Amino acid sequence: MFDTRFAINSFPKILSVAPETIILSIIATIIGLILAIFIVIVRERKIRVLEPIAAVYVSFIRGTPIIVQLYVVYYGLPQLLVALRNMGLNTTTNGLPVMLIAILAYSFNASANISESIRSAYHSVNYQQYEAAVTVGMKPTRAMTRIVIPQLITNLIPNFSNLFLDLIKDTAIVYNIGIVEIMAKANILSSLGFKYVETYLDALIIYIIICWIFAKLFQLLEVFSRKRVSHTQEFI
Amino acid sequence: MLLELRDIEKTFKDNQVLKGIDLTVEQGEVVAIIGPSGSGKTTLLRNINFLETANSGSMTFRDQNIDMARPSKEQILWTRRHMAMVFQNYNLFKNKTALENISEGLVFGQNMAKKEADSLAEIALDQVGLLDKKDFYPSQLSGGQQQRIGIARATVLNPDIILFDEPTSALDPELVGTVLRDMKQLAEQGQTMIVVTHQMSFARDVADRVMFFADGEILEQGDADEIFDHPKNDRTKQFLSAIAEDY
Repeated sequence: MFDTRFAINSFPKILSVAPETIILSIIATIIGLILAIFIVIVRERKIRVLEPIAAVYVSFIRGTPIIVQLYVVYYGLPQLLVALRNMGLNTTTNGLPVMLIAILAYSFNASANISESIRSAYHSVNYQQYEAAVTVGMKPTRAMTRIVIPQLITNLIPNFSNLFLDLIKDTAIVYNIGIVEIMAKANILSSLGFKYVETYLDALIIYIIICWIFAKLFQLLEVFSRKRVSHTQEFI
Repeated sequence: MLLELRDIEKTFKDNQVLKGIDLTVEQGEVVAIIGPSGSGKTTLLRNINFLETANSGSMTFRDQNIDMARPSKEQILWTRRHMAMVFQNYNLFKNKTALENISEGLVFGQNMAKKEADSLAEIALDQVGLLDKKDFYPSQLSGGQQQRIGIARATVLNPDIILFDEPTSALDPELVGTVLRDMKQLAEQGQTMIVVTHQMSFARDVADRVMFFADGEILEQGDADEIFDHPKNDRTKQFLSAIAEDY
């Protein structure tokens, strides 16, 4: 039988770790965005040596499951640090916080996906917008920052929103490395009470609420920015 | 002489689009370039302000010599800041209002103070009769309105030359007249212009000199009467008779 009382009692307990999920998602997205901007610049400007490396990096990350990436960082990073210490570098090798590892793994993951979205948003800005900007005497960088990038951002928002929501949902596997976030808390409560549907239903509701809030925020942002790059029908 | 182009050649892959173009433009002159599509007219204009880089050729503009195949960044910027361009598809900045579209070049190309730029932009907008649309975004304006703002965006810069790349080709027939009227007014004010156009009536009435362009070459040039009434080149005759019903 569905234990309503258990479900209700578990809800605030699971909700209390929701910040872990949200913080991990937000920080990883921010770092990922910064990395993505570098990747895009390297790839779009075809910077020698770096360009193929960036391309391989992106296809590597897009071509592997996030849980594998998480494990690679989780098990690989300490070994890397040991190796670095053996080479004489002063690194700590124990007590690396799991949250840091998760942030790293998810940042890498986000950077590849976001970079592809930025590239597609960039290419959907008509190149003639840039040309018009330089013909009125703007320097190329000005033409980018005044005309191209604002339009790029508008194009990017829907995709970016999608990626961010995906990332929130993807963080549900970090309980595998011992971070207690929504999914981990649900697992723990389930195994304590031997009741599963109740806690996972709680988790489901919490995920929906979080995603709904962020989806709405991005939607507002999009409406605000579309107003400036209005795509309404010509009315003539 | 304001602008002189010498032996401009441009090749896209194996396709030679410009086969050694020579062109001089005097101060205050209106030069119309006519000819079939794909003949390289637009490419020529784009080479003049370095939206394309020529394979070879040189240019003298305001007594500055520039190697068209190897222009420096400074030369490109300098040239563009003394010219303006009006595009076939208007290319108004989608993220800017009508007024901002016009003031943008003043503020960010010529480093003018925002206030001053705005008041100049308002005057320019008023001249094309669209001051009431100053806070509209391009997507809220008709093609004709957008193109007239495109013209205002060019003229406000007070350029030595305005390059028009088929400015009326994308417009409803009904709206062509308003844009041509603005251009004619500009010509009468002594604005130097190079106009790539399919509007033969405009070329005939407004242009000081008409050039017939085909297959990457200037086949014939002269004043409007010579070209339209007494064309010498067979290709010119053929082109003019093919489009005769249009004008």
